[in-house]
Formats: sequence, structure tokens, C-alpha cells
Amino acid sequence: MNNSVVFLNQQWLWPVMLVGVLLWAVFVWKESSQRYRPRFWFKTVVAFLGMASLVMLVLKPSTWRESTLGKGIILTEGYRPSQLDSLRAMYKRIPLETYAKGKPLSILNGADSLFLLGHGLEDFDLWQLDEKAVAFMGGEEVSGWTAISTGNETMLGETLEVRAKYSGPEQGHWAVLADNGGNPLDSVPFEQIKEQEIILKAEPKASGRFVYHLLERDQEGTLSDEPIPVEIVEGKPLKVLMINTFPTFEAKYLKNFLTERGHEVLARTQLTKGKYKFEFYNGASNPIYGFTNENLASYDLLIIDVDSYIGLGDSSKNALEQAIKSNGLGVFIQPDEGLFQVSRDHLPFKFKRDVASEFGTGETGRNLHKYPFQFQSSVRKQDIGLDSLVVAAYVPMEKGKVGTTLLQNTYQLVLDGEQDLYARIWTQILKNTVSSWEGALQWKRITRYPRKDEPFDLEIRTSYEDMTLTTETGVSIPLLQDALIAQKWTARHYPRKTGWNQLQFALDSLVPVSFFVHADEALTSIDNYQTLKANRYRFGSENDFGVSVSAPKEELLPISPIWFYAVLLLSLGWLWLEPKLIS
Amino acid sequence: MMGAGDIKQFQWRWQQSKYVEAVLYAVGFGGFVYLLTNQVLYGIIVLLVTVAVAVLILRPWRITVDNAVGYIDAHLPEAGYSSGLLLLASGELSNLSKLQQYRVSEQLEPILPKLRPPHKLFRAALVMFAMVLVGIAGRWALQGMGDSAELDKSNKESISFEPKDSLLNTAAIPTLTRTMITIQYPGYTGQGTLRTTDPNLRAVQGSTIIWDLEFDGGVQDVKMDLMGEPIAFTNSGQGHRLKMDLGASGFYSFVFTDREGHEHVSDLYSLEMVTDEPPLVQIEGLDNYSYFEFDQDKRMVFNTDISDDFGIADAYIIATVSKGSGESVKFREEKVAFDASIGKGSRILQLKQALDLDELKMDPGDELYFYVEALDQRTPSANVARSETFFAVIRDTITDPFAVEGNLGVDLMPDYFRSQRQLIIDTEKLLAERPDITDKEFNSRSNELGFDQKQLRLKYGQFMGDETELQAAPGQVSSNQEGNDGHSGEDAEEDLLDGYSHKHDSDNEHNLVEEHDHGNEDQEEEEDPLHDYLHNHSDPEESTLFEKSLKAKLRDALNIMWEAELYLRLFEPEKSLPYQYQALDIIQEIKNSARIYVHRIGFDPPPIKEENRLSGDIEKITNYSKNETYAYQGSFASARKVVSRLEILIDGNSSFSNADQNLIRDAGNELAQRAVLEPLKYLKVLQGLRDLEKSVNRTTEKFTAVRKDLLSVLPSIKSNPMKNAGQKNEMDLLFLKELGVYEQ
Repeated sequence: MNNSVVFLNQQWLWPVMLVGVLLWAVFVWKESSQRYRPRFWFKTVVAFLGMASLVMLVLKPSTWRESTLGKGIILTEGYRPSQLDSLRAMYKRIPLETYAKGKPLSILNGADSLFLLGHGLEDFDLWQLDEKAVAFMGGEEVSGWTAISTGNETMLGETLEVRAKYSGPEQGHWAVLADNGGNPLDSVPFEQIKEQEIILKAEPKASGRFVYHLLERDQEGTLSDEPIPVEIVEGKPLKVLMINTFPTFEAKYLKNFLTERGHEVLARTQLTKGKYKFEFYNGASNPIYGFTNENLASYDLLIIDVDSYIGLGDSSKNALEQAIKSNGLGVFIQPDEGLFQVSRDHLPFKFKRDVASEFGTGETGRNLHKYPFQFQSSVRKQDIGLDSLVVAAYVPMEKGKVGTTLLQNTYQLVLDGEQDLYARIWTQILKNTVSSWEGALQWKRITRYPRKDEPFDLEIRTSYEDMTLTTETGVSIPLLQDALIAQKWTARHYPRKTGWNQLQFALDSLVPVSFFVHADEALTSIDNYQTLKANRYRFGSENDFGVSVSAPKEELLPISPIWFYAVLLLSLGWLWLEPKLIS
Repeated sequence: MMGAGDIKQFQWRWQQSKYVEAVLYAVGFGGFVYLLTNQVLYGIIVLLVTVAVAVLILRPWRITVDNAVGYIDAHLPEAGYSSGLLLLASGELSNLSKLQQYRVSEQLEPILPKLRPPHKLFRAALVMFAMVLVGIAGRWALQGMGDSAELDKSNKESISFEPKDSLLNTAAIPTLTRTMITIQYPGYTGQGTLRTTDPNLRAVQGSTIIWDLEFDGGVQDVKMDLMGEPIAFTNSGQGHRLKMDLGASGFYSFVFTDREGHEHVSDLYSLEMVTDEPPLVQIEGLDNYSYFEFDQDKRMVFNTDISDDFGIADAYIIATVSKGSGESVKFREEKVAFDASIGKGSRILQLKQALDLDELKMDPGDELYFYVEALDQRTPSANVARSETFFAVIRDTITDPFAVEGNLGVDLMPDYFRSQRQLIIDTEKLLAERPDITDKEFNSRSNELGFDQKQLRLKYGQFMGDETELQAAPGQVSSNQEGNDGHSGEDAEEDLLDGYSHKHDSDNEHNLVEEHDHGNEDQEEEEDPLHDYLHNHSDPEESTLFEKSLKAKLRDALNIMWEAELYLRLFEPEKSLPYQYQALDIIQEIKNSARIYVHRIGFDPPPIKEENRLSGDIEKITNYSKNETYAYQGSFASARKVVSRLEILIDGNSSFSNADQNLIRDAGNELAQRAVLEPLKYLKVLQGLRDLEKSVNRTTEKFTAVRKDLLSVLPSIKSNPMKNAGQKNEMDLLFLKELGVYEQ
């Protein structure tokens, strides 16, 4: 097969042949008056040759041959001109093409060993260089922001943390985080180092989808302004169950704190054997005596004192364990002296003695009383910190968590008028003890900085089987299910507009996916950095051709048309000259 | 054939042109003035005046027929200097004249109507146009300047309404034709009524403010929105009126509903209440404390400056004279009027006043406290202010005020003896100074210390019932004798009292503690005068509370003190020191043991058995349940919602709706409560929010500005533990499960 001839313009084969034969027939008919002479036959043959070569010129016959393509240069953004010059000096007349995002490279037809200069090709264009030998020469160092990341979404009342990296910062400049209105929230001065990591923090004041700004400023004004899309969501109030064997101030103040903040609280305090005082706040109902799967199912958090916890009956204990593991109930054990003597089987925590009985908090200069114990480290234990102090810890138990604290007598803070500190401590502890609420669907961005008309990959995790994802204009996006994990789906979308975009699910109960599409002029340095990284990853940082491409490749190459031209010219010449010679 | 008529006509034309010229000038000036002042009346007046002046100058009536004839003769050669002939009747003329008259008339007939009388109409017209142009330029320049003022005006000095709904710009909107705001200051301020059109008001507390608004279209009702609280205007037929007493600062706007039920709102205006400050009283020319000898001139002269923002009603001096001291002190308060009369209502008063202490019937030893009190005219209750208090004392002539009188059972002298610790310090000091002082002095001081040590020993001895030792030291200051200001132990009289006061011992352990800690037992002793005279051995509280060891300890201490005193008396204080230290230690121990003793008398309940505690009869105890709901609303909830809503509006994904209107109003009300405390911080954002209620202002720029301001004033969210949406997939759960298994 390899030696056979293939017409490149195979599709025109028959019309062209027909026209050729027709032309030849006309010629034969025109010369038919001389048909009894030998020169008629000679002429006929010459005319056929001419006609045939004309047909071949159009049809372009070609054969499979080993390709012997040369070298080429692809220029991308950020290339070093000096590098280009030296390459050109080394290889005379080397073809060159400037890369444009999303456009196929035509140089690939004529070259198979390519010098890639600059930051490289976009991630989604790299396929073009499959099966080519590429020497990635790199480009100029990217200066500016090289990474900016925020969480997927921030809860209202929590701190928004923006982590960013800046390459080549200049002393005297500042990184400033500004809110959507342009009010500055936090700032960090630049230092004279190669790359600076910056963490900026802010407390969002309202929920919604906003675009914050990361500014670079100097004395004169703003030098750059990068958008930081943030989604602030409001949390859900908790359903809390408080179980106490006897009333304590600590429990009372915690109860007051929770109820005043709008949480649904059912507090049970034992009065005497089998008799309880039930307090229902903010819509809680149904007294609870023993724990069952059903009555624990609706609660998010169980706050229980040590005596009650230890004194749980077998069935209650099993129900509690079940609720923690499968329903994601959070359990907070209110500590007292007895907690530290509880045996290892009852409690997932281990403690060791500590001399200190106080924590010093940095900002207020206020000391917090604690039990003279420390958490012993274990694999599962997670610390709950308050300004880098470990005040509490929790242990995840499948879906739920069990937590406790070392602090004691925190109600003193309220009595001393430090409600804010009290609120901060308990918010931190309880927030971490409560498991997050699981929506029916979770999603995350794979493409970190989506741009208009560029692929945006996202990953969805859900237990729904048949769902459709549609854009705002109603175009549906195909979802690809993961072969191993049935709950994992991936999708690719090409956003049509910059700014906030939304993808909806056909099911109304599912929250739409919203993401921010950056404009072309935003985050350019990050883009360059990412491209550089992707290309380095792909081609390595060594600037020679790899060995992988040395294997010969066969390619379909047309037979040079010069031969056909020659035959055509000779036959036409003969046909013109012959009558003159005769006469 | 033409005749005199044509000449007359020419004359008339001449006059006419003069009049026209005058009118042109007049129009020029009149127009100039009109354009500058924008008042037609001024324009007309100037026009008339200029006409009159110009006519007077030009005097058109002075153009006579002869002038006309002269002009024609001079300018028309055809007239042949004979046009005058045309005026004459032909009968009066000679034949030659007739011929000439005929010829002239023939000649002139076609050309005379074409002859223009001399005029300066062109110049006049130029002047007129110039004036008008200057006028227009001037007006334009004035307007340019006025514009900024005008802008201010629209914001400040007049009320402008905008419809709330953008759809009804086409409908005829009733316009505000007259605004009158009357501020009636409270009568006492003496300020007249203020009328203004500027709705940003500032008035004294208690002022009455009347808003009169008149509209030219049909208006259903007019309301004032005062910090979210609507107050209706009353319709007085002509206009709408609202009368209100100013009680607090705030912000307000007007809302009116037109016939078709559309609401229109005005800008937000400020209402600032100025409180009436209390008067300021200052006394000058006097020290805070003045002392007088009894034979001195006891007059104090001082100046009082009193000032108040709205006038002083009254001022006087409050003088308090105290006589005697201690228990017998007596106070007498007097109100002294100023000599100068107080001009009621004056804002600044300078009063010079002399106070004669004799007039106040003060005797030596008496003290005077006085201050000036001033009242302003505020109603219903006046502001009262007072000056600092000044003191004047007439020094007593008696140098030693204390005398133990026979009728006073107990003397009030403080303890005068050195404590053991003091003795140690003094002894050490003496030792340190030994090289620098003479032997004699050293010996003398050592002896004195010995004496003090003895006194101390005697004092402790009392508690042991060492009567003999007390008796053995007659003439010495007894322990409970208390001297006053260093006068102790000098009077023979006191020695006499000695016997009365503490002749008997007292085993009162309470006394022991108290006397050491406070040295002040007078009150108790006074309460029970017999106490000192009794041997109250029968009282168990008193006699047997010392433990044996305690008594022994005290005895030891006394013995050691003996030793200490001995060495001091032998002028060997260095040998005495160890004893003194020992004594101090023991005394401390005794004190401490006394404290422990008090502590021990507490009630110690018997321990409760845990297993019995819950085993009682609990039949009557029932479950108790309590149900409560707290409506928790985060701080500035509406304002925060406005921020996210504005974000959507700025993106252009949604349009302004009625719900937004309500949301913005709620947010405004939330912020207004804070704004009263910090108006400067919040006014801008409040104004911005209020502007959004008007349809014309709903632009992206405005939204952006309001969003920025809102975000800058909103405080952070209070900490609250909430449940957030999380991601937990099967892999994670499997991992956690395995981890749990591993741990166990």
C-alpha cells in the first residue's frame, strides 16, 4: 500500500478525467482530416501525453514517503529576542510562526522539530505539538502576581483569606485587598525578594457574589488591579441539644449565647432521678429522654457534660454513635475535672498533664483559664485554634465529629464585659465541632482562572444519576461520569461572557453553579505563569529535542508537478512546431 | 405741483427720525438693564427714562419749517435756494417769484420725497445693538457665576421633589410653589422668629418649627418622613402645614402623594438641635483657700464672670459657714445676692463683689465655703451652673484646740508608742549612726529606745492582765492614752485620767487585733463606759478565748522584750536587736493565730452521702419545661442585603423593584439610628440611600457610590457559629472510617 499512488484531489478524479478525455477527443476530431497519415497517430499520442499531464497537474498524484521535515520556531508571548536572533544565526532560513491562542499552527506541516520560545502554548493548544520534537526554550521571567487563590465560597461572619504570590516585588509597593466598593480592607508591604507570598484577610460584610480587588499600590497610586471573585454565603443556624446533669454557669451562658444568636436549642437539665427541666428555644420541640436514631437525627450539635456522657445507657450510646457516624452529628463534651480521668474507651481523646493553667491571648492581654492538661497528639485529632492557641480539639468520626475544650470558666469573660471574645471563642469551637451541611451536590473548578471562549472544566460530585447541566442561554453541557467513582462527573464549558456566569441544573432543588470568568486583560501575569508551568511540565526545562521523535514517520507527499509541466510544455511545443516543419 | 405740505412733510420726517433715534437709544439701555437684572420693570423704567433724556437732548420739536427749507436749499441744487417760496401762497408773490416757485416746485416734486433728513439712526442702532449684546454677555457671565450658587441652592435652599416611580415622568407633576419654614425660638432666647426656605435646619432645643408648603397641582397628602416615622401635614386650605417642637436631632424628607396616588419624595435634609448650654461661671481674683487672722480686715473681693448663650436669669452666692469642729460642727447656709443688680437676659455679666466675713457673723475658727450659682432662662427648667468652691478660714486664736475636759470620758488621742518593727528600725539606724554621734547622744537615744520598748511591753502586758506593771509606771503615757498632734504625755491632767481610762486590764482579744491594725477603739469604748472599770471574767467571750499556748507565747514575747529593753538601757543596742527580732516574730505569730482562730469558728456541715441524695421522695417533682423564642436579627441586616442587591443591580442583571424600595428604606432606618450618634459618618450614605428612592437617581454610578459608602460604614459581623455547606465524598468517608479502625 505504501508504494501506491494516491491522488490528493481524489474527489475531482472523474470530472477531470472526463474533461481531459473530451478535450483529447475534440483534438482527435479536429485532426481527423489527416487520419491516413502517420503523423496523425504521432500527434494523437503527443496530445494524449499533454492532456494526461494536464490532468495530473490538477489531480496531484502523491506517494507515501518517509518525511524529512526540517526545524521550525514557534514564538509565543514573552520570548527573548536575543534567543531568537542566536537561533536564526545558527539555522539560516529557519521557518518561524507566531503563536495565536486557539489557532492551529501552520508551521507544523513543514517542520517536525520545533523550538518553542516564550512562555509557551496555552494548555488547551498543547495537543498540536503531540508527536513533534519540541525544544522548549522558555522566556522572560514572569513578574507580577503568579497565583491568587481564595476558597470556593466563604461563610458570612468568617474571615476571607486571600493567598497570593508575587514574583519580583518591589520595595515600597503595597499589596492591598479592597472590597467590591473599593474600600481597602487589608494590606501587606512588598519586600525586596524574588518571590513573596502574601496572605490578606478580611471579614466580608454582606452575603452575595462580589468581585474584590487585589491592588498593587505605590505612593502615587494604583499600579495594577486584579479582580478577586468571592462568593459569600450565609450559614444555617444550628439545631443544638444540650444535656446537663446539673446546671452550671458555663452551660447557662453557652445556652444564652446560642439562643440569643437565633439557634434552635433544646436544653435538658436533670432535676432529680428521671425528672428534667426542658428548655425549648427558638422553635425546638419534643423533649428527649433517651437517645434514639430518630430523635437525634434532626440535631446538628449535641453539647453534653461529662457525667451525662459517661452515664449514657447502651442503647443511647449506640444511637449516639450511629448519629455521629452516619448523620454527621457533632458532639461537644463540656469539660470538667472528671473528663481527664475518663478511661480511654469512652473518649477518643488522650490528655497529658500540663503545668500551665492559663492561656494568654495576644490581643486583649486577657488570660483564659484552662484545665491543667494538654491534648496528646494522635492521628485523628484536629486542633481548634484561637489565634494560634490550641484551645480545643475534635476527632472526626466518619461524618460527624466529637470535640472538647481545655478552657474553663469562660463565662467570666461575659461577666467582665468581654462578650466579643467569648463569642469568638465559642464560635470557633462550635463551628469546628459541627459537621458541614451536605448539599445534594458539590462542585469544584478544575480550571482555576476561567476565561471567555476558553475551556472551563469543572468537577461535580453528586449521587443523582440523571441530571442535565445547562448554560444561562439554555444550551446543555454534556456530563462525563467517572469510570471508578460513580459520583464524580466532569464537564467542560466554553463561557460566552466575562463576569459571573451560572450553570443550572434541570433539578430545581440543586443550587446553580456560579463562577467568575476573567476578562482577557485581567490576571495576565498569572496566566503567563501558568502557561510557563504547563509547558515546562510538558516539555521539560531542557532545551533540546527529546529522543522520542527520532523514529521515522511516513507522510503523503505529492509528486513534484514540475515533471508534468515539462511533459505538457514539450507536447504543446511539438504540436505547435510540427505543422511549421511540414510546411 | 407741490407746495407747503411737502415741506411740512419733510420737516415731520426729520422730527420723526429724531424720535426714532431717541427710542433706539432707549431700547438699547432698557434692554441692557433688563438683560442684566432679568427684571422687566427695571427695563421699562430705564427705557422710559432714556427716552425722556434722549428726547430732551435731541429736541425734535426744535426742527422748524425754516430748518427744513434751509436743509433743502443746502442739499438740493434744484431748489435753487428758493424752496422757501413754496411756503408762500402764490398770490403773495411777484411774477418772477411765481415763476421761480413753479420751477422749484416742478423740480422738487420728484426728488424731495427722496431727500433724507439728517439723522444719526445708524449710530443709534449700533449703540442699541451694542448695549443689547453687552447685556446678553453680562447675563451669561452672571449666569455662569450663579450656576454654582444655583446648584447649591437646589440642594440646600429649596425643596425639590422627584417621583418615586420612573414611569410617571410624563404625568403632570404638582410642583412646589412656595416653601416657608418658620422657626420660633423659645421665648426666653429673645430671638425673633426666623423664616427661611432652606430646609436644612438648626435650632435651639424647644423651638417650634412650622413648615408651610404650597403646591400648584392637586396634592392628596403631604407627609414628613422623620427618621422613618411619617408625620402628616395638615391641609390649611391654601397650603400644607406642619408644626413640630424640636426635641432631637435627625434627618427628614418630605413625601407627597398626588391626585393619582403617585408618591414623590424630596432630598434628605438635616434637622439639628442645639442644646441650650448652661451658663459658665468663673471667679477671678481669689485663691481657693484664704486665711484671715481675726484682727485682719476680713473682706474678700472677687470678680465673677458669668456668660450664657441665651441670657442669664439670675446669679447669687451660696455661702456656707461652718462653726466648731468635730462632733459639734454646725453649718449655716446663706444665699447672698450680688450688690450689682443682675440684668435679666444679659449674655455676659461681670460682677464685682465683696464678701465681708464679719457680716456673715463668722468668729475665729469658723470656715466659709462659698460658690456662685447662675441660672439661665431656659424653660421649663433652667440650666444651673456653679463655680468652683472657695474657702475662707478665720484662724483660731487658740493654739491648742484640744483640751481634755472633765465631762469627756474618753480621750481621743491616737496611739503614741513605737511598734516593735519601728523599734528595730530605729535601733538599726542608731547603730548605723554610731560613728557620727557623740557617746552621750548615743546613750541618750539608746535609753529612749529602751523606754519605748518598755512602753510596748506594758501595752502587751495589758492583754495578759499585768496590772502591776502598769501601776508600776506612773507618769508614763499609758497605752491607750492618745495624744493629739504631738501633744501627748505632757499634761499632768492626763496622768490623772490615766487611772480612769485604763486602770484595769482588758482581756479583749478583739482589742488586740484592732489596736494593732487601727489603733482606733474610741467608739467602742464610748459605747460601753463601764467596760473599762470592770473585770469581766464571767464573760467567756472575753476571758477564755486565748489558748494556753497563745498566752504562753505572749508571755515569752514580754520576757524577750524585757531583755531587749535591758540591753537598750545598758547602751548596747546591738545586743538588744536579736531579742527585738524574736519579739517581733512572736507578736506576728500571735496576730496570725488570732486570725486563724476567727476563721475556725465557721460552720462545717457533715458530709452528705451521695447515694442518699437522690433517693428521697421525688413524687411531687415533675418535669419542668420552658419555651422561649428570640428573634435574632443580625446587625444591619437590611443594609447588608442592600449591598448584595446593589451588586446585582450594578451588574445590570436585574432592575429596580418595589421590594428594593422597601429594602432600601429599611436599611436607611437602620442606619439613621446610628446616624444620630455620628451624623458625619452616616450622612453621606443616608443621603445616597434616600436618593435611590427617586427614580432619576437609579444609575449605575449612584449604585456604585452608595455601595462603597455602605461598605465603609457597616461594622463587621458578630461571631456566630453557623453551619456551612461542605464537601464530603465517599472517598473521604472511607478514609475516615479506615482511620477510625486503625486508631482502635
